[in-house]
Amino acid sequence: MPTRSERGRGLRAAALALLALLAALGRPAAAQTIFACEPEWAALTHILLPAARLHVATHAGQDPHHIEARPALIAQLRGADAAICTGASLEAGWLPTLQQRAGNPRVQDGAPGLFLAASATTLIDPRPGAGGNPFAGDVHAEGNPHLHADPRRLLEVARAWSARLQLLFPAQAVAVAQRHDAFAAEWPSRIARWEQQAAGLRGARVVAQHASFGYLWAWLGVQQVADLEPRPGLSPTPGHLQRLLEQLRERPPAAVVVSAFQDPRAGHWLARQLGGQVPVLQLPATVEDPEAPDALGRWFDRLVNALVRRG
Amino acid sequence: MIPTSRPGRRRAAPAAAALCLLAASPAPQAQPRDSGAAWQFGAVIDLASTSRELELGGRSAGLQLGHSDLTASGPVGRHLAAQLTSVVATHDGTVETGIEEAWVQTRTLPGGVVARAGRFASQVGHLNSQHPHADDFVERPLLHRALLGGHWFDDGVRVNLTLPTAQYWMVGAELFRGRKLVPEADPPRGGAGAATLVARTGGDLGRAHSWQLGLSYLHNRRTAAVEDAEEHGAAHEGEGHDHDHGHGARFGGRRTWMLDATWKWAPGGNNREQQLRLTLEAARVSGVAPHAGSGQRHDAVALSAVWRFDPHWEAGARIDQLRVSMPHEDHFETGRLRERAVMLAWKPSHMQSLRLQLSRQGGALGFESPARRSVALQYVVSLGVHGAHAF
Repeated sequence: MPTRSERGRGLRAAALALLALLAALGRPAAAQTIFACEPEWAALTHILLPAARLHVATHAGQDPHHIEARPALIAQLRGADAAICTGASLEAGWLPTLQQRAGNPRVQDGAPGLFLAASATTLIDPRPGAGGNPFAGDVHAEGNPHLHADPRRLLEVARAWSARLQLLFPAQAVAVAQRHDAFAAEWPSRIARWEQQAAGLRGARVVAQHASFGYLWAWLGVQQVADLEPRPGLSPTPGHLQRLLEQLRERPPAAVVVSAFQDPRAGHWLARQLGGQVPVLQLPATVEDPEAPDALGRWFDRLVNALVRRG
Repeated sequence: MIPTSRPGRRRAAPAAAALCLLAASPAPQAQPRDSGAAWQFGAVIDLASTSRELELGGRSAGLQLGHSDLTASGPVGRHLAAQLTSVVATHDGTVETGIEEAWVQTRTLPGGVVARAGRFASQVGHLNSQHPHADDFVERPLLHRALLGGHWFDDGVRVNLTLPTAQYWMVGAELFRGRKLVPEADPPRGGAGAATLVARTGGDLGRAHSWQLGLSYLHNRRTAAVEDAEEHGAAHEGEGHDHDHGHGARFGGRRTWMLDATWKWAPGGNNREQQLRLTLEAARVSGVAPHAGSGQRHDAVALSAVWRFDPHWEAGARIDQLRVSMPHEDHFETGRLRERAVMLAWKPSHMQSLRLQLSRQGGALGFESPARRSVALQYVVSLGVHGAHAF
């Protein structure tokens, strides 16, 4: 056991080293650092506050339900001035651990620096009292959390997030408000254009894997007649696919849609069994590069085009 | 592993219950709409059927209830969070219950500081702070079973500091009573009996790789009473089980150093579909007895590899090695034990898992009942909300 004086020396040395490190790290106070749980919120932030340094916790190739509380993410949340996440329990498996470990008071639950997109709009398919049943799959009592696939709800989130950013960063408030106004003025015309483009899809029947595009269907009037997942969040099983095949043989769907991060084999199998006429669309469930110009608009372009052209 | 109803263990229960009441009452209404935080309640049931008890194992042969718990966690006002976990398990047909976690933690201290007080699992090593039902194998490595009593939680305080660096750096210190590590100390000691220092770093390499390294030091001021040491030594085997299995470290010492390294790989970063996890933990304990020389020490190392080859299937293997110095009359004898395990787990959802594991113990020296072969079938199911898991 070290003696008392040895320990004292060790502590002093550690404290000095720490101070030196902190001094060396003194960040330039200019840019805000924003932690975005999902790429779509990073893209939205990039529209409102283009100078912000963005940390994006997930990407289009990942299932946002199954992220690990990795050291890299803890460090990113530690340095964030604010965070934007979906909420509605989408990040329940990892965000609480990040918050606990990061020790960043700005982004704790209830702090103004933590903004949840789900709080700015209403969710479809709420299941009050659900959740917690180990045999029911990943059911979110609050409703379907994948709300970013509805461009109208995106407008609501943009309004609330812009207000929050103005509150958090008063020096940027005017610029944020101007960028939001520009976005809010232009976005509805793009919505109208997509709706016009997709008018022929109204009433179309699709099969999808998970409720990732639930809001897209609701917006475009597309009907999801079956889910490749036997229960929310569970991978397709042979038995379930067989049942779907029976159910769909009479009236095959217009398309089978899977997300970019999902294994497309189940969808391909079903399409083949349905006679090979049904296209399988593997679509990104979010933007691929949130800092690319017009990332959100181009993502919707891509979704609508793929659905209209079925390929 | 599971607290029994020893007098010393009971004391924390009323305090914990009071804490829970205090915590539960103001929370739900106090939160603004998008706080995303309300009190959450969950339970985990861990059932395992084991063909043969492992040497230093925590599960007796037959069908037993493993580390099953009831947890409540949530915010206490704006500045604090709390968690209360009570545990139930059976050992040799006896049901044991206890409070394993009852802590409050700060949420709003500046500078990346998080402080915690109450009863909680120490953060030394890689596995100790995680709940055993989230483990990849039916039993913890020999390192934890021999040197930390399986799962070391205790009454104390913790202060952690996460540095504002691009790479993750955390340093933390804990001060514990140490009664869960050494239940009976000689000479008896009050106050803080054990202290730990932990440093951790980690990061990502591209999208597919992530890693973490940790170095821990545990300073233990409590010396196990002699009768305790004998009772916990190898001499008692053969006349039935020591009822106190897993309570307190069977092989302790004054200074413990631990090193842990984790590397995970998931193609494209999509860990839900496929992931390889490698974990190495090593520990060295010195000062194993008051009259022990520098040559007397305990060493343990564990290396595990788990491969998720399908969203719902995982296979894993682990090798485990233990070398201890056992006091014997006026000298020390070396004890050795090796363990190998392979497992296959089916996880139909993240709330359920069914695991088949084959374990083999060998190279035993000074341990009288190593299990040459033991097969275990384990089912873990969680109900309600269970906390997010660590890396």
